[in-house]
Amino acid sequence: MIETRGVGKTYYSPTAEFQALQDVDIQVSAGEVFGIIGRSGAGKSTLLRTLNLLERPTTGRVLIEGADVTDLDGEPLRRLRQRIGIIFQHFNLLKSRTVHENVRLPLRVSGQLDRAAQDQRVAELLELVGLTRNARKFPHQLSGGERQRVGIARALANRPQILLCDEATSALDPETTQSILELLLEINRKLNLTIVLITHGMDVIRTVADRVAILDHGRVVESGTVVEVFLNPRHEVTRSLLAQSGVESDTATALTPDDSPVVRLTYHGPGSEQALLSRLTRESGLDFAILEASVGHLKAIPYGRFTVRLPPAARDRLPAMLHLAEQIGIRHEILR
Amino acid sequence: MSTLFETIRSFEYWPEIGDGTVDTLTMTGLSLTFTVLIGLPVGVALFLSGPSQRSERRVTARLQSWTYNALSILVNILRSLPFLILLILMIPTTRWIVGTSLGVAGSIPPLVVAAAPFFARLVENLLREVDRGVFEAFRAMGATTRQTVLWAMLPETFPGLVAAITVTAIALIGYSAMSGVIGGGGLGDLAVRYGYQRFNVPVMVITVAILIVLVQLVQALGDRWVARLSHQH
Repeated sequence: MIETRGVGKTYYSPTAEFQALQDVDIQVSAGEVFGIIGRSGAGKSTLLRTLNLLERPTTGRVLIEGADVTDLDGEPLRRLRQRIGIIFQHFNLLKSRTVHENVRLPLRVSGQLDRAAQDQRVAELLELVGLTRNARKFPHQLSGGERQRVGIARALANRPQILLCDEATSALDPETTQSILELLLEINRKLNLTIVLITHGMDVIRTVADRVAILDHGRVVESGTVVEVFLNPRHEVTRSLLAQSGVESDTATALTPDDSPVVRLTYHGPGSEQALLSRLTRESGLDFAILEASVGHLKAIPYGRFTVRLPPAARDRLPAMLHLAEQIGIRHEILR
Repeated sequence: MSTLFETIRSFEYWPEIGDGTVDTLTMTGLSLTFTVLIGLPVGVALFLSGPSQRSERRVTARLQSWTYNALSILVNILRSLPFLILLILMIPTTRWIVGTSLGVAGSIPPLVVAAAPFFARLVENLLREVDRGVFEAFRAMGATTRQTVLWAMLPETFPGLVAAITVTAIALIGYSAMSGVIGGGGLGDLAVRYGYQRFNVPVMVITVAILIVLVQLVQALGDRWVARLSHQH
């Protein structure tokens, strides 16, 4: 659906040059929610903007639905952009126009519908985002979350197959963020919309994304399904981003300075609803102390992740226990 | 002993003051119309070719840069000429455009040439104040430049434009009074002929009073319009 091949972006100024992106390859399949995460300045926003060519890559190609769009210009570029919706951190609505008029703008731009049909489409969109009653209001009369709903309605006006989200929830409070993310998931399912979103918050990724790419200094340092990346982060940046959202912190081994074995156990997916840990204890006959744990859902996938300490004497019975863990669907990593 | 009312009524210059007021209003109104018609597109052109809107394409960016510099220098030159000098310099051009350099008609071209660059800069500055995100949203929608100007730039700056028009109208009232010096007609002409050349203090005082009232009126009307627009959003 969306693909970048070796995309790079360099900014030149008279005195210096800055490589915002280097050799970025991502593939987004139709209908999935693809998250791009990184610290500020990692190049996420630049990468997102190359997808609708608000930023034109210096090197590499951008493919949308298999077609190379990197060099599009003029009318063909405008038509491409009409097929790609985008929402922004600061909403970017016209403050001099009502909600209804803001949402109607893309329809006026594309000019495919007559006035009556435009108004009807706007009504549908406002219904979808739950703002029917606010059609006559001006943006300043709305809350941040409502404004982003207007942004979403506007982005969807021309029935795009792709929606880009540029830090769409970063200016919102946690509760509103949650409701906007739910709305995004809902339209992802209802309209089979492909969503690419960038964020600096892992919580956003784990609520909505199917797959994720971690960006650091303009490069993709790690990517995969969200479950994979969350449960087995390999790159240091990923770990630190996870630590910020409280999923990952490798302080456990440091806290217990002795030679008792410390193991990380993870599981996810169907089967996780069973009492896996107690079964492991029972069948292996080994008791362990849980030092750290994170249990919950990644989008709709249940997962568990535990750092456990076994008695020092259990060292020689460890391989048998880990073998058993493997059999019942628990993955492990020996930390000490 | 006549009453104050009779004194005022028998004041022999009322007809001339009346004509002068009408002339001033005509000059200001007509020159304001042309100023907006010329200054608005020039201001938009300044903004579109300006530093914030440079194209990523090198050829286009160079074209923008030339356009901007040319317009900007022209605007600066016209704005740096004192109005009185401009008035005199423009006499041949004015004759060529309206057939005379005197009276109401003769003062309109110099008024427009003086005010349009000023108004264009006001417009450029207003557009620079618009949130860049709005333009980005329009670009991402696939809007043309024309659509962006008509549907984003002008509506978003409309209250500011009204305020700029008010400021320009007041400047034009002032300028039009100055054109009296070279026989431009209007209240300024009266003040110069009676007040300055014949020491007729009452005429001068009344003229000045009318000018003050006019300026207050224009400002108040402008403010009210802006306030009403700002209530909407």
